[in-house]
Amino acid sequence: MDNNKYSKVNSNSPFKITLNKLFKKKLAVASMIILLILYGSGIFASFLSPYPYTETDLVNTQEGPSKEHFFGTDRLGRDIFTRVLWGIQTTVIVTFVGLLTGSLILGVSLGLISGYFQGKIDALIMRLGEITSAFPDILLIILLAATLRPRIVDFARDIEEKTGISGLISSGFIDYVVIGFALLPLSWFGMMRLVRGQVLSVANSEYIESAKAMGVSRTRILIKHVFPNILGPIIVSATFGLGAVAGTEIILSFFGLGVQPPRPSLGIMISDVTGRGSASVSVLKNHPEQLLAPIIVVWLLIFCWNLLGDALTDVFNPRSR
Amino acid sequence: MIMNFKKIIIKYFLIISLVGTLISCGSDTDIVTPDLNSSEETSNQEKNIAPGLMTEKKSDDSGDKNRGGVLKRLWADPATLDPHLVTDTTSAGLVVELFSGLVSLNSDLEIVPELAESWNISDDGKVYTFKLKENILFSDGTPITASDFKWSLERAAHPDTESPVASIYLEDIVGSMEVIDGDGSITDISGIKVIDDNTLQLTIDAPKAYFLAKLTYPTAYVVKKENVEQGGDNWTDSPVGTGPFILSEYSIGEVLVIRRNDNYWGEKAKLDGVEFNLAGGVAMAMYENDEIDITGVGLADLERVKDVNDPLNNDLVSVPPSFTVTYIGFNVNEPPFDDLKFRLALNYAVDKQLIASQVYSGLVKPAYGILPPNFPGFSLDITGIGYDPDKAVQLLAESKYADSSNRPPIIVTVPGTGGSPSLDMEVVSDMWDRILGVQVEIQQVEWATYLQDLHRRRLQVWGGSGWQADYPDPQDFIDILFHSNSTNNHGNYTNQEADKLLEDARTEQDVYKRISLYNQAEQLIIDDAPWLPMWFDQEGLALIKPWVKGFNFTPMIVPKMKDVYIDKS
Amino acid sequence: MFYYILRRIIWTPILLLIISLIVFIMGLYGPGDPVEVQLGQNYSEERAERIREAKGLNDPLYIQYFRYIGNALKGDFGESYKYPSKKVSELLKPKLVVSAKLFLASIFITILLGIPLGFYSALRQGSWIDPSVVALTLVLYAMPVFLIAPVLIIVFSLELGWFPVSGWGGFFDKRIILPAITIGIPGVAVLTRIMRASTLDVLGNEFVRTARAKGLTDLVVNYRHVARNALIPVVTILGFSIAGMLGGALIVELIFGIPGVGRFALDSIFSRDYPVIMALTLIGAISLIVANLIVDIFYVILDPRIRY
Repeated sequence: MDNNKYSKVNSNSPFKITLNKLFKKKLAVASMIILLILYGSGIFASFLSPYPYTETDLVNTQEGPSKEHFFGTDRLGRDIFTRVLWGIQTTVIVTFVGLLTGSLILGVSLGLISGYFQGKIDALIMRLGEITSAFPDILLIILLAATLRPRIVDFARDIEEKTGISGLISSGFIDYVVIGFALLPLSWFGMMRLVRGQVLSVANSEYIESAKAMGVSRTRILIKHVFPNILGPIIVSATFGLGAVAGTEIILSFFGLGVQPPRPSLGIMISDVTGRGSASVSVLKNHPEQLLAPIIVVWLLIFCWNLLGDALTDVFNPRSR
Repeated sequence: MIMNFKKIIIKYFLIISLVGTLISCGSDTDIVTPDLNSSEETSNQEKNIAPGLMTEKKSDDSGDKNRGGVLKRLWADPATLDPHLVTDTTSAGLVVELFSGLVSLNSDLEIVPELAESWNISDDGKVYTFKLKENILFSDGTPITASDFKWSLERAAHPDTESPVASIYLEDIVGSMEVIDGDGSITDISGIKVIDDNTLQLTIDAPKAYFLAKLTYPTAYVVKKENVEQGGDNWTDSPVGTGPFILSEYSIGEVLVIRRNDNYWGEKAKLDGVEFNLAGGVAMAMYENDEIDITGVGLADLERVKDVNDPLNNDLVSVPPSFTVTYIGFNVNEPPFDDLKFRLALNYAVDKQLIASQVYSGLVKPAYGILPPNFPGFSLDITGIGYDPDKAVQLLAESKYADSSNRPPIIVTVPGTGGSPSLDMEVVSDMWDRILGVQVEIQQVEWATYLQDLHRRRLQVWGGSGWQADYPDPQDFIDILFHSNSTNNHGNYTNQEADKLLEDARTEQDVYKRISLYNQAEQLIIDDAPWLPMWFDQEGLALIKPWVKGFNFTPMIVPKMKDVYIDKS
Repeated sequence: MFYYILRRIIWTPILLLIISLIVFIMGLYGPGDPVEVQLGQNYSEERAERIREAKGLNDPLYIQYFRYIGNALKGDFGESYKYPSKKVSELLKPKLVVSAKLFLASIFITILLGIPLGFYSALRQGSWIDPSVVALTLVLYAMPVFLIAPVLIIVFSLELGWFPVSGWGGFFDKRIILPAITIGIPGVAVLTRIMRASTLDVLGNEFVRTARAKGLTDLVVNYRHVARNALIPVVTILGFSIAGMLGGALIVELIFGIPGVGRFALDSIFSRDYPVIMALTLIGAISLIVANLIVDIFYVILDPRIRY
């Protein structure tokens, strides 16, 4: 690893430089704008959506796109546009919950610890990672979601009964906890390994050696010197991670293990409209907008995150093309 | 039996649908298959047809034109092929083709002799004497005698068989419960007597009019002792049966093939065989591509197949409704459902007609009572609770829980593992909210957990499931679901007056009086609103290839493949 | 290097033991009572107790665990709850074979399309071909199977009539093509990009320039030197993209009606057929570990510069 490059960038207000480089890439800017719009519309779904997401209108069911309903209505006469917005909100929350807990908090901190302290702790964490990564991801996630959910829901119900707090379950909070847990094994190890590798290469550099020689404490070195240097790779990996988590949430919801109705999610919309896949051909032929609306959004999310990730890789790592 | 409404919904969404829609079992164990299963598919093509079928087909071509062929259907993996263990429609649809009993139901749902030639009922209505047909054979060519029946019934009842339904179908026979509840040491049921090789006598504890109907259920079918004993746990891998077909090939999750039983007592099956594809897939596309011969029509395709310009329109047939009632159940011990007015308010606030026509495109019929139309005992004189928003609001205001602050939270539990719980539940909760301001939380749990909780009466409100007829008798609905002591009374409903009527009806010999007792009980129950009845099954739609002849859709599972044949000329 | 490989090989059985323990514990704490799964609702406590006793569910946990491991080593994963009296191993075997074949076909398609595409697009850097290939891979990578599968069915089965809608006929049956493509598409995208990047890397290397300077033809240089060297990193990535294809495979098996392990796994999870789930997870973990081990060893051999 070329350490000089990092130290140079570091001494030169790295963010300005990276941002400048990033903004020069048209595709990256375009994806950022699209992502901003998508995430913004998800976050502000409650303001933007023209109807409540549960509101049914049995007089106008299965209508095509119109001025009143941009993407038409579903079988219950619910506005598909509204449901897509709320579905995006679910994705927004899930991607951040999944990423924050799994990759960022757990992955980064373990990676820092492992890379910096090395030795036994490092070995332990690495073995732990090898164990979790030895399971087939998707099977483990489905299994975790299926076995965890009833336990967590029971637990939450207990809390609700004892403390009188209500809405723990109905607000969908529990769903996010379950999904966050289920996504953990998927996300943390990759990030941890990445951070560990970066820390290893930075920590052994002359530049840290000299800091150590000057008597700077370990923690301080970690926070002040190591961390900023590995920020780039973390951001890149997190960007790709957001796309992957979005895709996984769709699969989880598709099998009914994600958020629970009536809260909309893109995966649930796809699952419902395709009858768990078995009616996918029929719906595509007869009411394509009902399937395409959620699918295009999912596709855009994954597409843009990847595009952005690519651009960021270029920006942070000038060697790669 | 309880059935998963999702199953019904899925049926409309396309899939197995016609996979034998009815029969049902006396227990709520059925259909533990997850919904995934219902997206059954095919693996079609000649390769999967047993070699035997191919050769037979050739020899048949020379003969009668109205014979032969292999029917291809989409199916799900049967939970079991052991007739004594059958509880679900998927298994039953196969078992009735492979095995048979003393009596059976025909396509008109009349009880007809099967292996029995005739029977006598004693004057007190307690002793049934069956005369078996002459020279009837198992599929391996060995003769069937009355002792085979005695052995089979006793096997079904024996605790080691672990039949979940023996206690429901055989309980009436004197001495059966001692065996069923015993520790395995008692094997003899005193009420079953072999008079001679051709005569079997069954004695029941009280003159129950529905006893014969219960015998049409696979629990009372005959199996071959040597076959069962030698095959051990896996005897159904090569079962010896008495039905019009025999099992030719079965690989789980892939394909199940049955072929003609040449030792069948009656007219031999016309079809060479039936190939049930178990691997799932996109049913509609498979049908269009000639990979399966029959498919249900899902909501997504309804408009298309109804269009006369669409080529599929020519294949469209209607499917008679199954005897099913779907409902939202209330646990009357749990507040706020302990208040009749509150229950009534919820009932009056739901516009079922609108949901039926708009959400289900007319594939279901709004239910205002308990017994499905055309079911024995169904009466038009029953007055149900219709849609009346003003009355609903007024009733809520009069109820103990008019004030939302002292109303306990309401959690509606529905079965399922994915997607929307059920279309109607979402609309209903929206209607409750809009008309009454009553907000509910919908909780979705796996089917198995759902059944468990239901059985332990832990659910406050539950939806998404229904009750399907086990045998054509009103007792199967009203008594089993609402008698105070019934294990299937999941909402703790009690009404002593209704109990009395139901008990009287059990042994009432006069058909008209009996029906009238049931009608009175049904009316009492409806007025108490322990349920919000939702749907009866309505005529459905199916597509069937023009070369499939003689296939009848029936509202209950009955043996029907033997009259079918393929004519591609 | 040798030491590294040796350490990995020693570590593998320990890893498997830990994984089996986790799987076993998950089976214990999963919702539902195995007896109830088997008996349904109407059973007496007495009967349930007898079954528990017979199945050894009353033994201390560690005995149950060691019994399980001992049997699993012999390839016996117990009996299915959902299909009582059927051995899990017998149930799974044909399905594993089907899935493995389908997966192999997908990988085959991935390699067949991805490597030439990436290689070619790198060679054409600067022309319109390269960016369009890159764009295509990005578009395809993000495409959900929920869309790819029905579109393929509509176009190639219903409209063109080239392939059946569903079914399974083995490796050399045309019914394998559509599902294999559906599963393989994201893999193709990944592989194309890696191959492209790796080719570009190699193209910039000294020895390529030297080769050209020596007057070797483009063809020879490209295929003898560039392609061969560019393939090295691709091999390792293949392992990752395979793992990533699993999620898609579940849904693809569902839609195309493939009697494979994916659908069966989902069925088992939802019907709480724990013996099957445990066996599947174990088998999945074993194959993943072994595959990773092979890739790692391969990598070390290919590129001795890598140190661990």
